[in-house]
Amino acid sequence: MQGKFPIRKIIVYAIYILLFTTFQVSFPNAISFRGQVADLTFAFVVLTGYYYGFLDGAVVGLITGMIRDCFASPIIMGLDGKTQLASGIGMLVLFLAGSYGSSFFKHRLHRNVHFALLAVLSATLIYKVSGHICIFLWLKLQDGAIYTLTLGKILTDSILPSLLVNVLAALPIIFLLRFLGPVSRRKSDDSNDDVIKSYGEDSWLQI
Amino acid sequence: MKKLFSTKWFIVLAVSLALVAGVVLSFIPNSPIAFLKKPVSAIVSPVQAFVMNSGNVISDFWAALTDGMAIREENENLKDQIADLRYQLTQNEEAAIRYEELKDAFHIRDTFSNYDIYGAQVLSREADEWFSVIRVGAGSNDGIDAQSMEAFPVLDVEMNLVGRVIEVGSSDSMVLPLLHEGFSVACKVNVVNGATMLVSGDASLKNDGLCLVTRIESGTVIEPGTEIVTSGEGGLFPEGIPVGTIVDVDYSNPLAITATLKPNSDIGDIEDVFVMIPYQTEEEEASDETEVTENAG
Repeated sequence: MQGKFPIRKIIVYAIYILLFTTFQVSFPNAISFRGQVADLTFAFVVLTGYYYGFLDGAVVGLITGMIRDCFASPIIMGLDGKTQLASGIGMLVLFLAGSYGSSFFKHRLHRNVHFALLAVLSATLIYKVSGHICIFLWLKLQDGAIYTLTLGKILTDSILPSLLVNVLAALPIIFLLRFLGPVSRRKSDDSNDDVIKSYGEDSWLQI
Repeated sequence: MKKLFSTKWFIVLAVSLALVAGVVLSFIPNSPIAFLKKPVSAIVSPVQAFVMNSGNVISDFWAALTDGMAIREENENLKDQIADLRYQLTQNEEAAIRYEELKDAFHIRDTFSNYDIYGAQVLSREADEWFSVIRVGAGSNDGIDAQSMEAFPVLDVEMNLVGRVIEVGSSDSMVLPLLHEGFSVACKVNVVNGATMLVSGDASLKNDGLCLVTRIESGTVIEPGTEIVTSGEGGLFPEGIPVGTIVDVDYSNPLAITATLKPNSDIGDIEDVFVMIPYQTEEEEASDETEVTENAG
């Protein structure tokens, strides 16, 4: 009789989460271009959602985000001008990234390996654009604060380099998840879609 | 209704709202969210330390293999330098004795005489453009008092400014780096009565590793290459900490001259830092006690 408790999955995810989060904050400049560092954790969470569905993407995103918040929280300037650490933003970003990854082209592409890169690209684009918009709006609320980045700078110094380095970071992660992943290859292709459908994914962003 | 609760969009919305509430809650002083991070940090920190040390060992091993010839040549040069430095050292020892005598005679105080300096290892760095805090291995157990904390300057091994401590844990602290747009420090040109200015991080310069210089004293002429140090104004940072060098000056608006500054400290590469913690001298403590007594009287 096959055990129901997914022990292999949990162990493999735990190893990946610890490996990627600790590597990310220990050697962020391992892959960098024009001041942007490859976001291994972000690519990992998007790809987990893409390959293994909503539940995996969301849970892995929350845990990875929690560790990220512990090690490298974002620093926010409050409305009073004081800087302070914000907890929970990493969890929010990576939870949404995992959820997005699980919804990306799911029916037409059937977790196609090649389109995994497109999932990371589009998720990075959405993350960067929404991040800049949020910062712009936040600074608007502050007295006299100006967002000094121009549209051109945002494109050339933030978005494009991030897209490039994140796609590069995604390549080894695709290999790890697809071939040494949390679900054995014999089971992964057929059974996962059933698991995904059981969480109501059919009603979500069908592209 | 049950079907609604089990759909993915509902779960995403509910969890997102809960997380946003958590983010807002984390801004409140002494928020419980900060305490939730402690157990996670306690579990993951050893793993992170292991990964970082393993990476450093591999990096060092690789460097040992590839840099052999260069190291040998450097070693020869260093031997010559050591001989020169030994000679200088003997002369400086004599000068140091004289300086101590003069210092006592004229009541001169060292620049950092009111600070304890704690060495700490950089434990983790910024994860991306926005997750930009640096974690160092010195916390309240090492004497950093989180309650009285205004700003503890953080320096690199060459005593250049790296940033300031923004949050203190029991065994680690979070550092706001110099390049972050939330950082600013009062500075001056590194000469006696040098012109004052404000050095701050800037979103558009951060990726190039530069800072923005504003509020430059009117009538000041600054050239690229000018050394900038902290001015001590505001009391958060002591006077005289080297910050960086002016790279470019913009005189297009005479009423608001701006410049860009290249920090001396290479934040991406530093492995060890020093946290400066102010303490009260016996004279200050005595004067405080006198004030308290007078007020009470």
